[in-house]
Amino acid sequence: MRGIMTKLKSFFGYAWALAALPIVLATFIGLNTWAKGLAEVTGVKISPWYSGGEVERVVPHDGYKTTINKPVFQGLVRERKQGFVQLKWTPNNSQSLPLVIDEEIDLDGDGKMDFGVRLDTRTDEARLNPYSSNVVSVNQVLNLGEERAVRVKLTNPRRLPPTARSQP
Amino acid sequence: MNQGTPRSDTHSAGEATAKPRSDSGARPATGMGAGSDAPPSRRNLGKAILLSLPLLLLTAMMLMGQGGLPKNSLYLIPLIVTFLFTNTLFFLMVYTGRTDRYRAVFFVTMAVGFVITFIANLLEARGSMALSAANVVKGETPFCHMVIPMTLIPAALTRTIIFPGRILGGFADVATMFGIWIGATLTLGRGFCSWGCFFGGLEDGFSRIRRKPLVRKIGEKWTYLPYAVLVAIVVIAALTLSPTYCEWLCPFKTVTEFAAVTSFKVLVQTVMFVSLFAGLVVVLPILTKRRTQCGLFCPMGAFQSFTNKVNAFDVRIDSEKCTDCTRCVNVCPTFSMDDASVSRGGTRISCTKCGKCVDECPKGAISFHVKGTPIRSSTGKARMLFLYPGFVFLAVFGGGMIQGALYRILLLATTGHMIK
Amino acid sequence: MKQGIMYEMEAFLLGFSSGTVCLAYCAPVLVPFLLGEGQGIRRNALLLAEFLLGRLTGYLIFAVFAWAVGLVLFPTLAWRQVIFGVAYVLLSVLLVLYGFFNLKNWCAGERAPHFLNRLTNKWPVRLPLTLGLLTGFNLCPPFLLALTRAANSIGILGSVRFFVFFFLGTAIYFLPMPFLGAFRSFRILRTVGRLACGIMGIYYFYLGIVMLHGGMRQL
Repeated sequence: MRGIMTKLKSFFGYAWALAALPIVLATFIGLNTWAKGLAEVTGVKISPWYSGGEVERVVPHDGYKTTINKPVFQGLVRERKQGFVQLKWTPNNSQSLPLVIDEEIDLDGDGKMDFGVRLDTRTDEARLNPYSSNVVSVNQVLNLGEERAVRVKLTNPRRLPPTARSQP
Repeated sequence: MNQGTPRSDTHSAGEATAKPRSDSGARPATGMGAGSDAPPSRRNLGKAILLSLPLLLLTAMMLMGQGGLPKNSLYLIPLIVTFLFTNTLFFLMVYTGRTDRYRAVFFVTMAVGFVITFIANLLEARGSMALSAANVVKGETPFCHMVIPMTLIPAALTRTIIFPGRILGGFADVATMFGIWIGATLTLGRGFCSWGCFFGGLEDGFSRIRRKPLVRKIGEKWTYLPYAVLVAIVVIAALTLSPTYCEWLCPFKTVTEFAAVTSFKVLVQTVMFVSLFAGLVVVLPILTKRRTQCGLFCPMGAFQSFTNKVNAFDVRIDSEKCTDCTRCVNVCPTFSMDDASVSRGGTRISCTKCGKCVDECPKGAISFHVKGTPIRSSTGKARMLFLYPGFVFLAVFGGGMIQGALYRILLLATTGHMIK
Repeated sequence: MKQGIMYEMEAFLLGFSSGTVCLAYCAPVLVPFLLGEGQGIRRNALLLAEFLLGRLTGYLIFAVFAWAVGLVLFPTLAWRQVIFGVAYVLLSVLLVLYGFFNLKNWCAGERAPHFLNRLTNKWPVRLPLTLGLLTGFNLCPPFLLALTRAANSIGILGSVRFFVFFFLGTAIYFLPMPFLGAFRSFRILRTVGRLACGIMGIYYFYLGIVMLHGGMRQL
């Protein structure tokens, strides 16, 4: 019995060792396939804290468009109390962004504007005019070459105490 | 521990008697694993060539990829040089029976090649090594394997990767690097640290500058620091949803990319990573002749240590040959040998299978080993079974970096600029 | 002070780094108690639960105490930042010494052997609870820092939350106790825990400097 066990262990040991080279070859030869498969099976995305979140809607303008992302409050287990929303301005083909962009944004689609933002594309400075209590300040202004992006700091309305939520 | 101490390991019968080394220093051409008490011995030349042929074909196939031989000499010359370099080293490894010496030559060259290639690519693409907020938002940060431990808990709970890169597409995207890491883990375990990691080669190189170490003793507790760093960064990264090690501790930002210093916090981070690089990657390896960043700090190494449990290979000590001289303990670059592990007949979990102890043991008592097989049987076979996947991984993963560096050097020589 | 998302992590890691020391001191008493007369895993688990309850009670008492001290002594924000900044800097140095070098600490459980012996003889059933309470009073640098952090909390709930996570960090080491098979790895865990503590010390040093700077600017 002991002899059989020793032989079995040796067999599986050598089998696993012999498999090492084909695994290495398969890793590199089929890397694109494995990578795509891994991405599809896991369904992972880049954290919205870096990517800016998913696109909520795109608002067309004359000569450019505004991409409004979903607000980002992602936490490990539950949403965080503070987050941001990213806005991006992209010029249409072979055009440039206007020197100053003045826009009002309705975040939650309730028909009421939540804040206004004024962006100077020459100096990359942005001024915020909050209309809602959960809009805090401008977090970042990003120069993405031809595009510009702004991240506006927000407090999470779902994490406010009940009394604060009821306030206008 | 002396020879003759009873061990529970099985051993093969009918081992050949030991042959003394000849006075010329050349080793007798006995076969590997024949029970000789001499250090790794030479193979027959014909046998060595035969064993090297598969790698010749494999590297030709992998280095050329799908494009075949390039026509531009700026690309063709680096390819040919890398091909010859790789196969010469492997042949020498097989012929001389020495593993670490030739592995290290490739490993160090690969690390230097990586630094040259990476920095040149960055300067070409961005004009600077500094990472801006725009680069982060656009997902232009190449994914590094050091991030992997930090990403797992957030990925499991939020299905997002806490790194400003790309899942697919672009240079070193997340999915590709994970694929390579999985392949390395299955085949090499923590051997990835000596046969794959392009950062480890820097310290390996610095650790070989001096002939003798100036600092010999490092307290045993410091060898657990990588695990403490791992615990801290994994927990902090999970709660902050940001790669803590990259932001605060990674010494290799010095030779890759880093945030532009625009605030006090970033200044502190910059001072930290530059100091860690200078101390752990340059100065301490020179003084101790050990890979101090890998052995005393790297959380990825600590994480990868656990994968040694599922790997097919390990390094074992033949207790009947071992004379307890502790030479292996003194030379192990990652502090993976100590008195306790030697008396158990093996290494600590952190072994990177670099082969240094195997080469240095004066009695040939240490060898590569296939788990589940008897300790003293077919050590030569076990070594070759490990060398093939190990060296193929090294050659393919690192070959591109060496080619890239040679291309840049040729570009510099022909045009006066390293970047286009 | 703002309670950021790292609040629970800090508490957990501080507890993780100090718990091994408490285990090392109380194990010589607790282990024989658990091993005594072949109690079995279920019985041992119940005794361990009582011990941990004692620890948690001790920590919660300290949580309330810490919050009250912070509220009474340092009402204005600017002075809180200055005082706590100084405290963080000093305690972080202690934490680094504790974590990376062998700084000794004061543990009530270790210092009261006669009291414990009398207790054992008189009320053996309640020993785990008392042991838990006493080992909670461990004036090691991580605990001192936890006290300081909790004292700087917004509201009593913040202080309590901090100590709950601190307790969870310490409790990890005790979980294998009913099985009593993992003593060799305790030594390694202790080393890793202490070193993690030293790393936290560096973080707290940075935090203390930032706090001190913020407080000085407001004064």
